[in-house]
Amino acid sequence: MQALRVMNVVEDQLRRREVGPMIGLVALIAVFGVMSNHLFSRQEINGVTALASSIGIVAIGVTFLMISGEFDLSVGAVFALAAVVFGKLVNGGLPIGLALLAVLALAAGIGCANGIVTTRFAIPSFITTLAALLIVQGIDLVVSGGNTILFFGHSTITSALGGTIPHTTIGNRVLWFVGLTALLWFVLERTSYGNWVSAAGGRAGVARAMGVPTRRVKLINFVVCSMFAALAGIMQFASYGAASAQDGQDYELLAIVAAVIGGTSLFGVTGTIIGTFIGALILGLLQTGLILVGVPGSWYEPLIGAILVVAVIVNVRLSNLNLQTAFGRFAVRPDETPPSSLTAGGRG
Amino acid sequence: MESGDVASTPPVAELVGITKYYGPTRALNNVNLEVRAGEVLGLVGDNGSGKSTLLKIITGFHRPSAGSMRFLGLPMKLRSPAEARRLGIECVYQDLALIDELSLWRNFFLGRELSSGVGPIRRLRRRTMKHICAEELDKLGLVHVRSTEHAALSLSGGEKQSLAITRAIHFGVRLLLLDEPTAALSVRETRNVLKVIDEARQRGLGVIYIDHNIDHVTPVADRVLLLEHGEVAETFQRGQLSADELRDLIARTTRQPGLAAREAR
Repeated sequence: MQALRVMNVVEDQLRRREVGPMIGLVALIAVFGVMSNHLFSRQEINGVTALASSIGIVAIGVTFLMISGEFDLSVGAVFALAAVVFGKLVNGGLPIGLALLAVLALAAGIGCANGIVTTRFAIPSFITTLAALLIVQGIDLVVSGGNTILFFGHSTITSALGGTIPHTTIGNRVLWFVGLTALLWFVLERTSYGNWVSAAGGRAGVARAMGVPTRRVKLINFVVCSMFAALAGIMQFASYGAASAQDGQDYELLAIVAAVIGGTSLFGVTGTIIGTFIGALILGLLQTGLILVGVPGSWYEPLIGAILVVAVIVNVRLSNLNLQTAFGRFAVRPDETPPSSLTAGGRG
Repeated sequence: MESGDVASTPPVAELVGITKYYGPTRALNNVNLEVRAGEVLGLVGDNGSGKSTLLKIITGFHRPSAGSMRFLGLPMKLRSPAEARRLGIECVYQDLALIDELSLWRNFFLGRELSSGVGPIRRLRRRTMKHICAEELDKLGLVHVRSTEHAALSLSGGEKQSLAITRAIHFGVRLLLLDEPTAALSVRETRNVLKVIDEARQRGLGVIYIDHNIDHVTPVADRVLLLEHGEVAETFQRGQLSADELRDLIARTTRQPGLAAREAR
């Protein structure tokens, strides 16, 4: 009996969505660490964390939205728009604090539009935000005029967003990434609103029947997702001092990849913010690590594709794990008679 | 509970002259019904008889074109499903009882989460909620459930129905609507769900049990209302008719002679 209980605990832990990606991350660190002496050098750690936090801040916002059952393909374009508009405003003489608020408000507006079109007109968010991607990409080009916008100024706000952690060369962004991950984790796992987010991603009608305002929840999440993408864009600009319409390219897909590697389902409800955090670290580590071990850069994306498929298979396997059957002991439901196919057929 | 006791308690819900038009189509015509506390009212009718429309009116999804409703003796005008829920009206739908991928305790407290804290910063009282959920699962005899963290997927169809009904009882719902709760269930599972419905009755809830299959309703209903073309065609007390006779009635084969013979008695 005691052994059984231990097995249950082990099983519950293994079933956690973060286990698969965590194993993957550790394995990658081990492989790259053995194959290259430079992985733990200051420069490479900077590279990995910069990339991971840039994609990661976008990806946790996208995960938050995906759990409530919707996608946002416009995050990459919003990332670039935020960087470009912020640069233009600041170079135009607007106080940096005001420029920051204006850009965040703009992003909230785009998220709001995505949310309203999706929920009011019952259009799949895949389509709504694909349209938004194309529209915002166009605006990016118009605003930037196809040029790179440079920034040489200095302020408390920009160094807080894009500077480095004191006494290190690691970007502040990684602290923001950790902090924002903790924030979304708390909201999702520890508040009523988080429960509604997960429920909103379930089958249409169930959550509403329980009094959950699913449309409002989704709308709020579209806004959050868009604002996270904009914040990441502003941070990139503050950190590099340059922005162009090409920034954030493919981020809409990489964000979904990070989420899925981290165990988030494409069909809503299931997913964790910490899983995506790990997923973003894996993406950052891969890009840097491959170069370190001498693999041509063109292998990066095919490899991500392969890892994506493996990750999904492993995650599905882990979540269905049943150690008792795996050890040959069949868990018999005491109240179930053998021909359970009768009841199984009735499950909607 | 005997029907004699039921008659002495005030009605939980009362519908008078409810009529509903969808454009030019009349879905309900002058429907009157009442449900008392501790009573299970069966609402039976074929597809298109107006059962679903009536359900949607009582749960606040639709507003009636004419007629009035009273709830616990007070006039009730529902503007939204949320309002109906606030008053203590809840519906358990056949296949929409729980969210499959969500954990059991999160399902149990969905929309009624317990939290503590100051102002807008409130944390879920996870331990308390898990404990209560585990207790309710134990009461239902679902001993195969090893953790309230498991997804609702791990329950069978009947277990989901039972848990959803138990949830309504736990949160003090006054009027419980059941939409084909035993459709597609095995005999054993049906029996378990009926047991939970009986528990709801004993706890003094008014229950409206909606089904197109009379066999599902008769074992538990105190009264059965037969809807036809949006009108109440017949009302039967428990035991007045056998399930066979009722079934024939719905199929419109032996209605006239069967009833005539009965009323002549």
